[in-house]
Amino acid sequence: MTPTDPAQFPIVAARALSQRVATADGPLVILSEVELAVKAGETLAITGASGSGKSTLLGLLAGLDQPSSGELFLLGQNLNALDEDARARLRAGRIGFVFQSFQLLPALTALENILLPLELAGRPDARERAAHWLDRVGITARAGHTPRQLSGGEQQRVAIARAFATDPEIVFADEPTGNLDADTGARIIDLLFELNASAHTTLILVTHDDALAARCQRRIHLVAGRMNEVAAA
Amino acid sequence: MNFVRLGLWLLRRERSSGEWRVLLLALIIGVGSVATTGFLGDRIKRAMSEQGANFLGADLLVSSPRPITHWPQHALATSRAIEFTSMVAQGDAFQLATLRAVDAAYPLRGSVRIAARPFEPGVARPALPPRGSIYVDGTLLPLLNAQVGDRVQIGEAPFTIAGVVAEEPGQLGGVFGLAPRVFLRADEVAATRVLQPGSRVSYLYQFAGEAKPLAVFGAALKPALDSTQRLIGSREGVETLRGAFVNADKYIQLTALVSLLLSVAAIAIAAHRHALRHYDQAALLRCFGATTAQLRTLYAVQLLTLGLLGSLLGIAIGAAMQQGLALMILPDAATRLPALGSAPVGVALVSGLLALAGASLPALLRLIRVSPLRVLRRELPPLPLAAWISVAVSGSALLALVAWVADDAKLVAVFVGALAGLAAVLVLLARLTLLGGQAVQKLSHGPLRFGLAQLLRHRFDSTVQLGAFTLALFLVALLALVRSDLVDSWRAQLPPDAPNYFLVNIAPQQQADVAAFLQQHRLQASALYPMVRGRLVSKNDAPIAATLPPEARDNATLRRELNLTWTATLPANNVILAGQWHGSQRSAIISVESGMAERLKLAVGDSLGFQVGDQMLSARIGSIRSVKWDSMQPNFFVIFAPGQLDALPASAIASVHVSANQAGVLPGFVKAFPGITVLALDKLIANIEAVFAQIIGAIQLLLGFLLAAGMAVVVATLLASLDARQQEAVLLRTLGAQRAWLAKSLWSEFIALGLLAGLLASVCAEIAMALIAHRLFELPPRPHPWLWLVLPTAGALLVGLSGWLTTRQITRVPPMQSIRALG
Repeated sequence: MTPTDPAQFPIVAARALSQRVATADGPLVILSEVELAVKAGETLAITGASGSGKSTLLGLLAGLDQPSSGELFLLGQNLNALDEDARARLRAGRIGFVFQSFQLLPALTALENILLPLELAGRPDARERAAHWLDRVGITARAGHTPRQLSGGEQQRVAIARAFATDPEIVFADEPTGNLDADTGARIIDLLFELNASAHTTLILVTHDDALAARCQRRIHLVAGRMNEVAAA
Repeated sequence: MNFVRLGLWLLRRERSSGEWRVLLLALIIGVGSVATTGFLGDRIKRAMSEQGANFLGADLLVSSPRPITHWPQHALATSRAIEFTSMVAQGDAFQLATLRAVDAAYPLRGSVRIAARPFEPGVARPALPPRGSIYVDGTLLPLLNAQVGDRVQIGEAPFTIAGVVAEEPGQLGGVFGLAPRVFLRADEVAATRVLQPGSRVSYLYQFAGEAKPLAVFGAALKPALDSTQRLIGSREGVETLRGAFVNADKYIQLTALVSLLLSVAAIAIAAHRHALRHYDQAALLRCFGATTAQLRTLYAVQLLTLGLLGSLLGIAIGAAMQQGLALMILPDAATRLPALGSAPVGVALVSGLLALAGASLPALLRLIRVSPLRVLRRELPPLPLAAWISVAVSGSALLALVAWVADDAKLVAVFVGALAGLAAVLVLLARLTLLGGQAVQKLSHGPLRFGLAQLLRHRFDSTVQLGAFTLALFLVALLALVRSDLVDSWRAQLPPDAPNYFLVNIAPQQQADVAAFLQQHRLQASALYPMVRGRLVSKNDAPIAATLPPEARDNATLRRELNLTWTATLPANNVILAGQWHGSQRSAIISVESGMAERLKLAVGDSLGFQVGDQMLSARIGSIRSVKWDSMQPNFFVIFAPGQLDALPASAIASVHVSANQAGVLPGFVKAFPGITVLALDKLIANIEAVFAQIIGAIQLLLGFLLAAGMAVVVATLLASLDARQQEAVLLRTLGAQRAWLAKSLWSEFIALGLLAGLLASVCAEIAMALIAHRLFELPPRPHPWLWLVLPTAGALLVGLSGWLTTRQITRVPPMQSIRALG
């Protein structure tokens, strides 16, 4: 399923991708004719004002939703041909997520939250890997704490460890610093890029933080659902 | 990791969550109540079946009010017994007993166990006691202040108590301790001189043998028997009793099902909230690559685990509770019942899983179908879950369950109808009460105003809580009232000098002596009425049943022998409604009680035929009269004109008032007239009350489940609103509300809810009691002021406490932390 030479083929690609929703006032265009190809190992920032369609695009690229029209490729698969369950199987263990609101399970400890996707992917060394990644994000001391007992920054560190723990090919991040203060946010960004660099993961993130966008190799800007590629700074 | 293990893992991590706890608790309560009644009913039914032929003590039993001398040819084993009631006395103590005079062959089937002391298992041996001795039921000993080995008097003969009857055929237990059993020798009955012409006696003829000769014998015998004689096969004997029990059992099972229904409501609400709180989890798992099938496995495993755990715990509780229930209903037989059966385990398990599945599947199905996109767009609402889907699904699941358990479609329809009606009335009342609450709320201020506002704002929740808790309180109160109040108020309206003793079985030659004794001791007595037992068989020369429409034929008046009397004086409390009182006319005229005349469609001028012993008697109805049945006087359905019954053996009956300071006269009376049965009405009523209390106590035990289920509903609905409440509390805290202020508002809300439920339950209980008193006892309604105090207090306490314990956490969280938690 994986292309023979990852550098040659886009790991994520969109062709004439559009998303429309029906409203009482007729169809509302959220995304219009987006063309995009991301190669393995690339880092891409999707920026734009609130309501410009950033998160919708991220959801579509990650296979969480179906587009109204256009073609989508993820990890060499044509997503148009897959139903929701097939897309879920494709994601398992190969795609990581980091969310603005962290999305940790409240009943599980920091370590167990990292363990969850590893167990889902059926990794035999799940426990060791989870402990290893907890160490990588620097909060081993908090292993037994539940999310309620962690600060926002600590919660996001757990979330980042969880995203990378399965050695995914792509990590999608949705406003990863949106709920954090500037200092904490900066440290989270450092951590994210550091891990990404060492794991050679493709990173696609949504942000309206210019500093964060500037650290990505590529940047696309959405205005009312239309895409502009911005030259790298 | 497979999703079975993952489901169990997540379940273990979330085991302290409120929803799981309420769900589990509600399930335990519901299944516990079903299992308790299931286990006990099964044990009793099996006890009956296992006894089989032992139940009658024979394969075939013929019962007759007089000796039978001619029998068809047979080669069966036989035994004869005579059964009658008489006084047994020791010193100044005396007690009515049911005597069975037996021969050496009794019982032909099964066994009699005789013990040296009460409550011992005893050894199996013939029921025939040694010469000059009797075996007695254990309950008789304390009533006579006697022990095994003591001498007692029966009629004119002394006997030694040689042992205690620990077990006899057909006895499941002494629920009716009215006239305890005594075994004596058939050849020693004459010495007691208790049996006089006209005495009420059953001659019992028992037969045992191979099936074929038994059938031949039975077929030959049947045509020879008249309407006063009965032939009972061992199977019919068991089936009759079993049928009666199965019917009673159905109602008890339905009571248990009400608890299960309330539990289901609690489960549905808790499951709904569980689903709401887990949409994020499900969406996240989908992001991580879980398919719908995998999520289904995960949540099904969790549900099944909880279902099994809750059901098994409920079954364990049921197994413990049923023994308590058995001891209450059958104090003597509880230890002799067969061991716990496995069938009720299955029933309880299935009802538990069905209730859980019905109530929680709709919510969990939604959970499985959640869109993974929810992780990116928090505002994306979970698929709306209409509450009525849960209700409809669990409702139909339970309906199926009820129909299956009761195995009686009509009963189920009536039950469901009644329950739906009650629920509708309760919802309506709850709504009205909440409207009233609105007025109070406007007048109040501070935390009270806020608390009441909460109650009114969560109108649906409040209605459900109010309805569920009112139902529980109402049923508990109603049973308590029925138990304590009805007999009391009936007794209270009797005049103080109403007769309190009946003298029965007064032989004709004793009548003058008895009258003299009563006069000498200044005892106020009714007239002496001669009494002849006869069965109504015909009207205007046609069989009586044939003159009635089919639905009226199954009439108690036709199934049993009536007490017939004659007198020239219209008894006090009797009023002629039609025709003319016969007075001292000496012709074949009778006066019939109005209720009987109505039921059997009799009119003045009709001619009725009675079978008395082996004679037929016929008379014309001269008058129809009303009778005041609770007057405590001897009352009769049929009164003949003087002289008509002279040729028949008759003993007489009288009622007498014995005041407290005259009570010392009675032992003298029993000694002077040992053959006369002295029935103490006080004792009789106390006995009926005791039986009543036993059965109602058992049902009240079941209502404990109901009350617990009601509390589970309250807790479940509160949990469902906990997030919203927390948000409000945080807001109020940031706006400056003190912790104590929040606590006060919570307490006011729940205490108000409990008070309202108590008030509603009081209203319902008063109405129900007034109806019962009017219908059953023809008593005027009587208010119960304490009810209006106890029920609201109990409601405020129970709801207040469970409400506070469920929600107090929201007052404890500092506002900053709460804001973050809500993120």
